[in-house]
Amino acid sequence: MAEDRCAEKEIRKMISRNFTLDNYGIFLGTLFMLIGLISFIYALATIRQKGHRLEYYLVLTLIVVSGVAAALSKNLLFIYVCWEVAAFAVWRAVGFYRRGGDLQNAMTVFIMNFTATVLMLVGILILYVRNATVVIDELSAMDTTAIVLIVLGIMVKSVILPLHTWLVPAYRAIPSAIGGCLAGVTENLGVVLFLRLFTSTALMPPDAAMFISWLAIISSIIGGGAALFATNLRELLAYSTISQVGFILLGFAVGGKYGAIGGLLFIVAHALAKSGLFYGVGMIEDVTGKDDLRNIGCLVRLSPTLAISMALLFGSIVGFFPLIGFFAKLYVVFAAVEKTAYLGVAAIVSAAFTVLYNSRFSQELFFNPKMCELVPRLKRPSTTGTVLVFVLALISIMLGIFFYQPIAFLMGGSLP
Amino acid sequence: VNEVSYIILLPAIAGLFAYLIRRLRSEFNFIGFVLTLFVSFKLFLLTRTQVISYSIATVPPFNFRFYLDSLAGFIVLFNAIFAFLIWTYALRSMSKAEGENMYHLYLALTLSAANGVVVSGNFVLLFIFWNVLVFSLYGILLIGKTDSSFAAYKALKIIGISDYVMLLGIAIIFVTTGHTDFPVDPRLPLDQPWSIVAYILIMVGAMAKAGSMPLHTWIPEASKVVPASTMAYMPGSLDKLLGIYVLIRTSFFVFDITHSIAIRLVLMIIGSVTIIGAVMMAMVQKEAMRLLSFHAVSQVGYMLLGIGTGIPVGIAGGLFHMINNALYKSSLFLSMGSVEYRTKTTQLDKLGGLGVKMPFTLVAFTIAALAISGIPPLNGFFSKWMIYQAIIDLSGEIPIWPVFLVAAMFGSVLTLASFLKLLHSVFLGAMPQKLGRVREARFEMVVPSLILSMLCVVFGIFAWQVPLARLIKPALPFAITETGAWFPLLATGLIIIGIVIGLIIFLFGTAFRGRRDRVFVGGEIMDNEEARITGPDFYSSVHTMEILEKSYQFGEEGTFDFYNYLTGIMHGFAVLFKKIVDRGFELFYLSLAKIVRNFGKMISSLHTGELYLYLSWILIGFIVILLLLGFAGVN
Repeated sequence: MAEDRCAEKEIRKMISRNFTLDNYGIFLGTLFMLIGLISFIYALATIRQKGHRLEYYLVLTLIVVSGVAAALSKNLLFIYVCWEVAAFAVWRAVGFYRRGGDLQNAMTVFIMNFTATVLMLVGILILYVRNATVVIDELSAMDTTAIVLIVLGIMVKSVILPLHTWLVPAYRAIPSAIGGCLAGVTENLGVVLFLRLFTSTALMPPDAAMFISWLAIISSIIGGGAALFATNLRELLAYSTISQVGFILLGFAVGGKYGAIGGLLFIVAHALAKSGLFYGVGMIEDVTGKDDLRNIGCLVRLSPTLAISMALLFGSIVGFFPLIGFFAKLYVVFAAVEKTAYLGVAAIVSAAFTVLYNSRFSQELFFNPKMCELVPRLKRPSTTGTVLVFVLALISIMLGIFFYQPIAFLMGGSLP
Repeated sequence: VNEVSYIILLPAIAGLFAYLIRRLRSEFNFIGFVLTLFVSFKLFLLTRTQVISYSIATVPPFNFRFYLDSLAGFIVLFNAIFAFLIWTYALRSMSKAEGENMYHLYLALTLSAANGVVVSGNFVLLFIFWNVLVFSLYGILLIGKTDSSFAAYKALKIIGISDYVMLLGIAIIFVTTGHTDFPVDPRLPLDQPWSIVAYILIMVGAMAKAGSMPLHTWIPEASKVVPASTMAYMPGSLDKLLGIYVLIRTSFFVFDITHSIAIRLVLMIIGSVTIIGAVMMAMVQKEAMRLLSFHAVSQVGYMLLGIGTGIPVGIAGGLFHMINNALYKSSLFLSMGSVEYRTKTTQLDKLGGLGVKMPFTLVAFTIAALAISGIPPLNGFFSKWMIYQAIIDLSGEIPIWPVFLVAAMFGSVLTLASFLKLLHSVFLGAMPQKLGRVREARFEMVVPSLILSMLCVVFGIFAWQVPLARLIKPALPFAITETGAWFPLLATGLIIIGIVIGLIIFLFGTAFRGRRDRVFVGGEIMDNEEARITGPDFYSSVHTMEILEKSYQFGEEGTFDFYNYLTGIMHGFAVLFKKIVDRGFELFYLSLAKIVRNFGKMISSLHTGELYLYLSWILIGFIVILLLLGFAGVN
């Protein structure tokens, strides 16, 4: 009886303190909810699929809820559950259209994500054995094996090289509204856990943090390079995500207050930009029926508002003022140089690739003169969708102009 | 103190209103530009006697503050003057052009950001405004005469990447000193690896903006497709002001390059190569805007050369040349824009004899052309004269000083040669029949170029009294001592006497004894159009010189274009990353999947459903367990 009570107490302890309302959590939770809301509106306005609508919205809801819950939690077990839910939702989303290739892609995505969560679970169990708790704030000792397993899980979830390969097939197949959520919410789960578990607690040995910093920036550079060579719109977005999430992880891995703030601002910049770009690409595909970058162009004549909004979102990813991406990049670069100047150089190389692939993307997408003759024959993109992309661009600008507010809010975050 | 914010906010707000309320566009823009000019002038006067410095916000770890000393004061004033004059010009030249509304907005935003750069007292704040300039440059370049997206794309890539290089330099300063404020007292010596690296990185950003070699190629590219007012505004004036301003700030208010011979040598070598390389390219151009754009690059070389000397007179000469260049270069672009406005072409072989039809444009252009060529008593001569003096003063310190002196002087001679060709091709010689009906450009277009050219005269003749005494000397943190002697007023008097004597000889000599006749070749009478001597091939012999022919060929093919190498290398890496690294990982996982599948198949093949086989497995398993237990020593 006493043993049963003890076990019950332990289990209660494990599932206690599921939510923590600190500044980081509120910040990320609000962001994920915003992305979710915009994705819902976009889906309502653009979805043309006759069947499986319930599944569509269920998947979208699961992605958003799992993201928000993971952002607000410091309980590793609860975060694991969120990851599992997200993995399930992404699997359903990628296979949503039920085409042969999509189902194959969905399986790839599921296996990779499931492996990540299993690795993470083993890591959590090791931590539990060492610390008798799964609540991040109560951890006092780390374990090398646990670090390796959890970091591997994070790398899969947040598409860090070499465990990034599921993202391209996922992006190719996913419906654009859910794609926006995948880019804006789910891919951040890994780096958010890194922030919570390692950056905020400073429990990771410095050498390991340095190793992960290099891994992150190399991933970012290689992702950026691959994006420069990509010809398919969705493929380009996927490699761009690999590159940008690498930059976010760099911020968290180099750590310190400025690294963390840079990373968090980058999550915002990237989530707003990439979800907006996903919607934009979705609308372009709807209008033209094509997804090859070389077959689409002249968007600036087809829909100037959409073109300008997308250009602004590109600008945010590149890091142009007055978009929020500017401050994100600034803080990450400063934090990286503070660690070592070489990391700073690598960060600049990654930023250079970002400039190149984004300018190429804009150039091809907006100004390809060969495609301008097609414009009169095409219908206009969805007005609601265009407005939503514009809203995302506007939010990016407002956050960039009033940058002091988010930074001041994050300064009161949870760092040791 | 609030005036400092006004010069940033006024043009941007007025520009936005003008953009939104199209009916009142000119009114809003006029109010914005004029008020900015007025406030800038007030600030200029204020900074004569005091330094304005105050904090505007602290966003950890940065302390954003404005800082206006006499250097910033006079640059702010010139920003406003150029913006106002070029806006006036564009009012007519861009009238009814595609993207006109957006164009005016970009002009206003550019002025705001340019003022922001100059009034910043902190590198991070400076970088914010610097970044806005990339955005506005890209936008304004997109509004072209024809499809200008490639030029804009190229500028975005060069300036965008060099900005990140600059950011790295700023980050290094921050990490090492704990702040990014300037001026720094005492100045940081360039004797540590970190300080040298930081200085070079910031220098790259400044040089890309100013358009120095090897980061200049976006300027000639843009010149082919963007309107003259864009060329006059961005690469012609504002970009030079800002690039050289940042270079001077960094070189003499943050770091101290005077004791670093290596850095100074680098600056002077880049300066000399820029002067000669760009002017050689300019000489053989057959299109006026492109020709002018190479001169816009070449002139940066003089500024770098002056600053690189590290001697007060040279630095002052560099700074003076920056202002002079902005004056005559803008005037030249605007004048040529006026010609294009009327003739619809800038191809030199299609122009000629326009001096009669466009006399005011001719006057403005000629003065500016002589000024850029360094003809006394105009301003270009004076600033070059100061730079020459500084180079000669280096004789005890740098043995190769004659190389720099020859480069500077030879560059000046070639500039003159190049502008003689341009003058002849456009304004002198015989006029093509097609241009018979050409008239002088509109009043709003002629006046700005005339004002700029008149300033070239004033800044030359009254060099001591006006620019040097009131602008340059107060702006620099050291005393300027002249070693040579040049009296512009006396020289002007003598030159005027010389010209008068020449005129008298001309009038009493051959002026009225000319003979008009028909031109014939080999007995065949040629019509006037055919007999016209056009200018484009003036220096084709230079182009075909054995020693230079290959260099020109390489230059035209883009062999010296650093941009091609940079993008080529990055594209090479992109292919490597995509085709080898990414594909490699994919193949690795596919192989792994194959192994798992084959293993599964193997296991599957063992499950035949036959009872005896399963019993065999159980038996084998039992034996294996027994053996293991035996090896483990279990009794």
